[in-house]
Amino acid sequence: MMDVIQQLREQAKKLLEEKKVTLVIGFGQGTELARTTPVFIDSPEGVSALTWGPFCANNLAKYLTDYKNAEGNVAVVVKGCDARSVIRLLDDNQISRDKVVVIGVPCPGQLEWQKVAAEVKPGASLKETADNGESFSVKTDAGDYSFNKKDYMLHRCLVCENPNPVISDITIGKELPVKTYEERFAEVSELEQKSTEDKSAYWDKQFSRCLRCYACRNVCSVCTCQICVFDQMLPMWVSKRTNLSENTMFHITRAFHVAGRCVDCGECDRVCPMDIPLRKLNQKIHKDLGDLFDSPTPGSKPGIPSALGEFSPGDPEEFM
Amino acid sequence: MLKRLLEYVGFEPGRFQARWISGSEGAKFTTTIKDMTEKIKSLGPNKKMRDDIV
Ligand code: SF4
Ligand code: SF4
Repeated sequence: MMDVIQQLREQAKKLLEEKKVTLVIGFGQGTELARTTPVFIDSPEGVSALTWGPFCANNLAKYLTDYKNAEGNVAVVVKGCDARSVIRLLDDNQISRDKVVVIGVPCPGQLEWQKVAAEVKPGASLKETADNGESFSVKTDAGDYSFNKKDYMLHRCLVCENPNPVISDITIGKELPVKTYEERFAEVSELEQKSTEDKSAYWDKQFSRCLRCYACRNVCSVCTCQICVFDQMLPMWVSKRTNLSENTMFHITRAFHVAGRCVDCGECDRVCPMDIPLRKLNQKIHKDLGDLFDSPTPGSKPGIPSALGEFSPGDPEEFM
Repeated sequence: MLKRLLEYVGFEPGRFQARWISGSEGAKFTTTIKDMTEKIKSLGPNKKMRDDIV
């Protein structure tokens, strides 16, 4: 992936030198081998901080709303799934098209850094990564490793719909083949089949662990409200008590507030410190949106109306 | 959508109901409320999201 990194730096440098943007948001090497951190680069000299590889799970489109009122334009590095967020933000009028330069990188999938970190020698530093189709090779100064995708990749990447960014001004790297997955909602269907008691017990076990740290909300690129219902004190829509009842309320509300806008980037699920399977809630909504309204994944194409944001006379009317 | 989500997290089917009734549909209102009350009574007390669960 060295050539992608090289091109990424060149393009970023050019954008900054030509003053087309005042800031480039991208991935930089983190303190550990298998982690990256968002970097915010405002000078051409800074572009050497940019990197790319199978450890770039963060959805950087999240930061675009922070700069929507800033002077100057912002460039952002996006994967396929992140690009869906950019489309959603544009369609929601959260950002303006002429202020954003989208640097799209076709993405072969992202590894779960914890799993990789558990196998690589502690303290090793990263030399190079490469995509070999079924696996990634990771070269370090303490030896070379290979991680097969099936076992080490993030779950969301195993059923990725858009490896190629769906919106991009500058595309770096080769386009990848797009696959369709019949089993995209396998886990949701399995849970749907269970009895009411079993479903209740399953989610009670999940929700009761929630710390209400709100990491899931904070990381979400489509959570764009200035004042969040969960923060508001007057009226206090959801109590701040951390117990099963209030946590259940929180989770249903969170999932439903992003229904029709959630782009299935899976970030909420990834960042949860308690490993609560938030994506299984979002995916239930995606599945129903598809079944009821024939709605594709939000953000997967520009200008698709939000299924829950508009009315058409042909809509199913289960409540009439 | 919400109804499906609630059932997915373990609420009984029928615990949450929504109906669209216009101001002029008095009779529909009566029968709907009767049906709803019956359905809810047959489900028994709600066990989820109660203030006494901590
Ligand atoms: S990130 Fe996890 S623990 Fe934190 S509020 Fe969200 S679900 Fe709860
Ligand atoms: S709800 Fe989760 S999966 Fe959906 S857009 Fe937000 S962070 Fe991404």
